[in-house]
Amino acid sequence: MLSKLAVRNVRRQIGNYVIYFITVSLTVALMFAVNSAIFEKHLMAKADTIGELRMGLIAITVLVSLIVSFVLGYATSFMLKLRKREFGTYLTLGMTRKNIVCIFLLETLILCAISLAAGIVLGLVFYQGIMAVITNVMDVEFAFGAYSLKGLLLTVALVLGVFALSSVTSALFLRRVSIYNLLHGAKKQERNVRHPAVWLAVTVVSLAAIITACILFSHSLKTIFKNEAGSSGLIFMSLLILAAGIIFFHTGLAKSVVNLLVKNKRFKNRGTNAFTLRSLSSKLSSNAVMAGALSFLIAFAIIGANVSFTQQIATEEMIKSNFPFDVYAVIDKTSNSPVSADKAEEIISKYAKIEKRYDFDFYTSQNSYLHSFTKWSGSGYESLYDTFISESDFNRVYGALGFAPIELNGGFKIIPESNFIKSFDFSNAVIDANGTSLAFKGFADVSPLAPCYFQAVVPDGAILNMVPESDCVIFDLKDGKFDAMAMREELSYQKTSTFGDYTFMRCDFQIKEYGRLVYGAGNAVFVVSALYIAVVFVFMAMAILALKTLSGVSEDKLRYDTLFKLGASKREQSRTLLKQTFAFFFLPFALPVLLSIPAGLICTQIVNLSGLISATSRPIATAGLIALVMSALYVLYFTATYLLTKRTVIKA
Amino acid sequence: MNKILEVQNITKHYGGGSVVTKALDGISFELEKGEFVAVMGASGSGKSTLLNVIATIDRASSGDVKIDGQNVCDMREDALSAFRRDKLGFIFQDYNLLDTLTIEENIVLPLNLQKKSVEHTERELKRVAAALGVGDQLKKFPHELSGGQRQRAACARAIITSPSLVLADEPTGALDSKNSKLLMKTFELMNEALGSTILTVTHDAVVGSYARRILFLKDGKIWSELVRGNRERRDFYSEILSVVSALGGDTDAV
Repeated sequence: MLSKLAVRNVRRQIGNYVIYFITVSLTVALMFAVNSAIFEKHLMAKADTIGELRMGLIAITVLVSLIVSFVLGYATSFMLKLRKREFGTYLTLGMTRKNIVCIFLLETLILCAISLAAGIVLGLVFYQGIMAVITNVMDVEFAFGAYSLKGLLLTVALVLGVFALSSVTSALFLRRVSIYNLLHGAKKQERNVRHPAVWLAVTVVSLAAIITACILFSHSLKTIFKNEAGSSGLIFMSLLILAAGIIFFHTGLAKSVVNLLVKNKRFKNRGTNAFTLRSLSSKLSSNAVMAGALSFLIAFAIIGANVSFTQQIATEEMIKSNFPFDVYAVIDKTSNSPVSADKAEEIISKYAKIEKRYDFDFYTSQNSYLHSFTKWSGSGYESLYDTFISESDFNRVYGALGFAPIELNGGFKIIPESNFIKSFDFSNAVIDANGTSLAFKGFADVSPLAPCYFQAVVPDGAILNMVPESDCVIFDLKDGKFDAMAMREELSYQKTSTFGDYTFMRCDFQIKEYGRLVYGAGNAVFVVSALYIAVVFVFMAMAILALKTLSGVSEDKLRYDTLFKLGASKREQSRTLLKQTFAFFFLPFALPVLLSIPAGLICTQIVNLSGLISATSRPIATAGLIALVMSALYVLYFTATYLLTKRTVIKA
Repeated sequence: MNKILEVQNITKHYGGGSVVTKALDGISFELEKGEFVAVMGASGSGKSTLLNVIATIDRASSGDVKIDGQNVCDMREDALSAFRRDKLGFIFQDYNLLDTLTIEENIVLPLNLQKKSVEHTERELKRVAAALGVGDQLKKFPHELSGGQRQRAACARAIITSPSLVLADEPTGALDSKNSKLLMKTFELMNEALGSTILTVTHDAVVGSYARRILFLKDGKIWSELVRGNRERRDFYSEILSVVSALGGDTDAV
């Protein structure tokens, strides 16, 4: 009998549950897709830290499930409160509390089963979508992901866990609440918000705190790149200020703006403005903290997505800059490497056709004169010798990279590894080369070839008395895919540590294709995880707003019915409802979308500080795109909610 | 005198095929400007349906309803909204005050919908609030008032636009006898001092006794009509009771 009642209840409540159901199904689909990717053998084989990656991803998916449980628990509890009278009636009819908890849990289980089934069906498609994203990020050919039983079982276990956890509070409520409260539960009473001006001050202070947090974060990034102490503390503090700022900003805004507008008689007495303002004031005041929390979730999602894409940009640029040639090696003259440049040519030829080979040397003056102009000098840096390259070698290699030849004008130039090096003052540096003084003539462009923080380009004659430090070789390969993992393995050799206490595999060759595979796999996992969290958070936030709106339709229906009787036209009612719903939806979303601007700027700063000058415009464009996609998702949920509400509330 | 309301051969039926329920069956009557008329009848007699049709909340199956000379049965939805806003005032059994609005905001809402100026709105608010004695409660929310005070606020809202016709649906239904009497005194005041034309639906003979004329409905038809004339209210009440008794309905005690 109870199961029959539960089934009927679910069918009867289908209108109320539709957004809940869609959100849960989409979340389950994403969960299934990510879980399947975790157990995709071919994908994971490309990541060299497969164990850690898999564990990390499982941890993320479990964490996301916990957050989903909390949010769904909140949604379930206020949807349950809508049906208090119904459960109260069951109790007056003689049902036991055990019975009504049973009915409620059965309903939840039915919803869980339907959402799980729908989510997994949808997830079959989502999974291939995620594989497309991953292969795109890794820059490898798209391959259909194989479905795994482990991925499916993990999803089922997590979804069951989510529903069990989210039902706990509601089940406890049903066990404890009195029949009287179920039948005549106190209705929230309207009150004027006290001191709206004070709340406005809270809003302004919070906004200032948010701006301060962004500036502080940006400043702490600079200190991180300068390796200054205490920067991680600053980062943590700025994030804390940001979180508190977002929550208090919304609390203040919800309790101030509408209530201050209500005090403006001319504005309030226009059409249905008083009605809209009061409805909003009531809704916003009672949901102020919730709006702040949702806003924080959305901000987290947007910032996370921005950071993940910046990581992707940075990795792409890093691969471009760290692997300027298909194969590049700096072989230390003292290392006695068994894999010489000629031996390497033999090995590489087995995997790919070599189009060109360049050989050159780095030299050292065996002193740290140039380092004394930087922070890397003095105690602890004694063995850090200056490194040099001859003008002709440099131009030959840079020419191959497409750079114009460098001109030294009787002096020397510094090739920085990153833009940061340019912050040191070398203007007084003078090198003595066989009795000739070479003055500093500025910086060359940031070079991927610099083996250390920087190196100097000197006229060919200046290196004659210097000691060759390392042999360098560059191979340009014919385009096409090859087994970079195997090639690297063959180019590696066993080496004993300086202290002779252990051995390890060393490879002096930087292989671009290998870098793409390794960094790409890790990066793809990072991007997909961040996007997964972002999308789930946005889904959750939107679902809460939608359910909050829909849970108030019965009260709204009565209010709009009165408006109808007082002569408000259908158009006027629809417009009023649109304004009311839009303001409620827009409030927690506006700030996070605006935060895309500082997020984009900070990501640009990260890219700049990392020396990836060619990619500086990309984070802003990415931030814009993320804001656009999030807004589109938001508009979809808003439209669905508005139409569902309108159908019930506005009299035809 | 001006005819404010002309109801001509109104019918209203629900359902279709072999199961048709006739709620109104050819009702015709008129209301002059400044009249206070009550419609009485047992449950299911059609009195609320009649009120809804006149209020333009429901459509008649046939017949005409003219208010201020305009046939509301021919009007389109948008025109009806504007008509309700400008020509009619409503008082409901459960007050229908908006719980999120203060009493002042509730009362001036019809003027806001008419897009009247702030100055005009404040002037009218002062006038009705003073007349109905709700001036002290303007800044409060509905839940902070007693039932009687709430209904007086609803009356103020109903007459603030000086409508052609005030319609009341069981206005004392949620009130105790003391507040019911106070409310009916308010109705008398609205009718006599403020010149409002009132049509109220009630099953309460005491409420009916405050009206100048009573229409008795039975099975969707006007069964009888009583006019108070110059009689005392108590005498009129006794006569109402005898009609109600003949009608076969129950009444509340005086």
